[in-house]
Amino acid sequence: MASPIRILTAVPICDGHDSAINTINLEFIRHGIEVVYLGFHRYVGDIVRAAIQEDVAAIGISSYNGGHIDFFADVVNQLKKKGASDITVFGGGGGTITHDDARQMKRKGVDEIFFAGTSLAEMAEYVKKHYGKRKKRRVNSEPDLVLARKLTELEEAAAKRAKLRTSNIQHRRSKVIGFTGPGGAGKTTLIDELVLRFLQRDSKTRIAILSHDPSVIGEGALLGDRATMINSQDDRVFMRSMATRGQAGGLSPATESCLALLARAGFDYVIIETVGTGQEALPFRNKLVDQTVLVMNPDYGARLQLQKIVMLDVADIVVVNKTDLERAKAALSEIEQRLTQNKRKQEIVATVAKRHRDPGVDEMFELITKEPVVAVYDRRKRGNRPS
Amino acid sequence: MSKLGAVVEAVEKHGRFVLEQVKRARSDEKFAQAVTERWNKVKAEIPIAKAPTGLPLPRLALPEIDEPGEIARYLFGDGLPGEFPYLNGAYREMYLEPLREIESFEKKGEAVVARVSRAKKPVRATRPPLQEEPTRLFSGLMLAEDTNKRFHFLSAHQRSKRLSTAFDGPTLYGIDSDADGVFGKIGEGGVAVDTVEDMVRLYDGFELGAPNFSASMTISGPAPIIMAMYIAAAKRRFGAKVVPNLRGTIQADIFKEVQAQNETIFPTEASLRFLCDMIEWTTANMPRWYPVSISGYHIGEAGSTPVQQAAYTLSNGFAYAEMLSARGVPIDQFAPRLSFFLDCGLDVEYIALSRVSRKIWAIGMRDVFGANARGQMFKLHTQTSGRSLIAAEFKNNLTRTAAELMLAYMNGTNSCHSNSADEPFTTPSEEWIRLAAHGQAILLEESGIFKHTMNMLSGSPGMKAVERAVEKAILGEFREIESLGGVLAAVENRYQRSQIQNAAHRYEQQIYDGTRPIVGLNRYRNGADEMPEIELARTPRAKQKLQVERLEKFKKKNAEKSKHALDKLSAVVERGENCFPALLEAVEVCSLGQITGRLQEIVGRFRPMV
Repeated sequence: MASPIRILTAVPICDGHDSAINTINLEFIRHGIEVVYLGFHRYVGDIVRAAIQEDVAAIGISSYNGGHIDFFADVVNQLKKKGASDITVFGGGGGTITHDDARQMKRKGVDEIFFAGTSLAEMAEYVKKHYGKRKKRRVNSEPDLVLARKLTELEEAAAKRAKLRTSNIQHRRSKVIGFTGPGGAGKTTLIDELVLRFLQRDSKTRIAILSHDPSVIGEGALLGDRATMINSQDDRVFMRSMATRGQAGGLSPATESCLALLARAGFDYVIIETVGTGQEALPFRNKLVDQTVLVMNPDYGARLQLQKIVMLDVADIVVVNKTDLERAKAALSEIEQRLTQNKRKQEIVATVAKRHRDPGVDEMFELITKEPVVAVYDRRKRGNRPS
Repeated sequence: MSKLGAVVEAVEKHGRFVLEQVKRARSDEKFAQAVTERWNKVKAEIPIAKAPTGLPLPRLALPEIDEPGEIARYLFGDGLPGEFPYLNGAYREMYLEPLREIESFEKKGEAVVARVSRAKKPVRATRPPLQEEPTRLFSGLMLAEDTNKRFHFLSAHQRSKRLSTAFDGPTLYGIDSDADGVFGKIGEGGVAVDTVEDMVRLYDGFELGAPNFSASMTISGPAPIIMAMYIAAAKRRFGAKVVPNLRGTIQADIFKEVQAQNETIFPTEASLRFLCDMIEWTTANMPRWYPVSISGYHIGEAGSTPVQQAAYTLSNGFAYAEMLSARGVPIDQFAPRLSFFLDCGLDVEYIALSRVSRKIWAIGMRDVFGANARGQMFKLHTQTSGRSLIAAEFKNNLTRTAAELMLAYMNGTNSCHSNSADEPFTTPSEEWIRLAAHGQAILLEESGIFKHTMNMLSGSPGMKAVERAVEKAILGEFREIESLGGVLAAVENRYQRSQIQNAAHRYEQQIYDGTRPIVGLNRYRNGADEMPEIELARTPRAKQKLQVERLEKFKKKNAEKSKHALDKLSAVVERGENCFPALLEAVEVCSLGQITGRLQEIVGRFRPMV
């Protein structure tokens, strides 16, 4: 089965008009396209970086706040500078982009502009027709480009169930951390907060992120993590969004091979994030990752539910997020008790990830960056927990 | 737990109270008499106005009822204009032309006799605001001096100078014009404002602080900073004594940014904190200023249904009231200073949406928050819907906007903006904005629909049916939000955002499947795909360059002082004190971007929800 078409959509800097693009994204997904959605108020640099890392066929920009001739041209030029002119640029802006504007924009390298009144189906058909075939890329490409294209090849191989020569994940050089947990617990925010701390502690650390979103085999997907991960849009962060393409368990068929590739690509840390998982999920089979982090909501239900969450037996670090909620105090003590049943070395951290400079997130960061990461479980830890 | 549940109860309780009064009027003789006497007194005092053709009409139209139960139902349930629960209007008289003759009725024994007195001069109300025309046109383009020119063009013939300011993209997001990657956006969609010097230029030639001048500023993310710049600009021109006289509004509403407009720049909690700091300071120091315009327009424009728009706006308003009360700001200090902003499109709900919103707000404020009469009044600005304007055969937009204006006035809006027909393509050219302004003048001054008689269209069976349905639906939304833990909790769960997006998606589907006929788009298409000859308002490069140069000069001149001011501001913010006074100092020597940049270092950046 052929891989779905991947495109990236975004709204330009200083523009918050996302009503149109939200609807368009859904239409594209209905037509089997994987859409990496970057959100609104996006700099040219972030759009180009994301498009390269995600190895998309095309970038679709929705612009309703003016300045589009310059903006679209900037995107085209930066793609060219980075050796990625195989990525096409298209877009629209209702009536704000005139026919004259569009002619100018096309002269500057934009592929197509959709005017007011174009049907959603028409746009989706256009994308399927014109952006289906991957264009060739020049050989002497930047490392990010090469890496991104290799990841695509691995994804396509996995889709065809072909075997490609890849590294063995056991020979990894980066430290690999796996994040899992139910949907809405705050995994994405936590990872982004971690990245902020990584980037701030020195000027060298490089991070790779492999993030997953669910999709059914042969159908499209909305890969929207990048839109909320504001700190991860940085030259020192390589992020790739993957659709699960029908595989159960929280990861995609290509995850292991992609992980193996990233873990030997010069990153200090590789963070892998599963989709929102259920109670029975054990997404990281033995030795896939160095450290597992389970992120939980305080609202998991009755204490009995904790017995069913299998990951609690295995996770190295259990993060209870959103501990500003009323339920948090009780939840923390219940989970602590649950962990004592295991008689192995596990950490529990209380966080409020949405909070700027949250001390709990600081604590989690220190747990992750110590080598080796096996701290003795200690009741008197500092952090957000009520004493 | 939030007070939204209490508001639902209060509205239902009010409904029961009205029914009890009706019953009482039908069983209790004395009460019936009192109610009837009141009714007759009110009717007797209504002056008669004459249409230009000589037709006499009462200045206030009331239902033809004399049965005490029905009178009670009207007086307690709907309220006269200017009386609780303000269904029929926030004020006693609105839109009426000044009286030239006064005629009234007088009871002489059993007879009612007409008494005519010829007034020598037109009778004016003593408070200027009551006599102000509602027109307030939203505009902004290129640089401060260009927008200033447009302001003078628009207000040239108005009795009162009522301005409304649109800012460009970078300004809305708190970014300086010299920031990387925003050059092409300078002056697009609104005016570029980077410093207090721009603010001085922007309102040049206007008497800030005069009783017949007011300025509205449509900006929310960096609102406290822009507010501080406005005050600083006013002080530069008129001295510190002008501050308590400043009249106007700043939009500043954070909830609707997070839910719909997407211009939040700090994390939600920090943004709310800065907003409350500003409200606390301005309500104490600028008694004629509205420090927040609690908005539904953007919610509607993002695609919500009218009911969702009203429900989220009102619940956001109640949430602000809770927050400010929790801070210790007295209810009677801030409640009268809250204003509202709603959309007006072509859906049938708009026949009654604002009326019902006024009623729900009044009941909630009085019975749940204990606000006085001034705090119960829902003061409303309406804008005709931008989303309803179509690019194809765009001249039809004149008709769309005119219909929406009718609906807005039928709902008794206190202030009104009419869109220009060319807005699908550009910020309006002079030609089309003139027509938009004329639309209001034609309806309010030329036509006889609103200028002779108050309550002209209220009370019709159709309007009542829509009122009932809309009220019920809004209360249903309140219950939903309450069950999620209140407004803040619902916001964090993306509730309002996802509801709005779903409604937007459905709206688009209804266009494509024909459920929503749109003339020129999916019905009666003339097949022409040509774009019309429209004058586009695009900022010339030379102007964009000039703005950057001016900004660099400002920054260079104030390099030393700005550092100190920012450090001072940082310290105040870290200590958790009200940061507005420090902002007032900072804007004298810092640019918008410098201040937002420093604040973001301390409180973080807004994390978008998809």
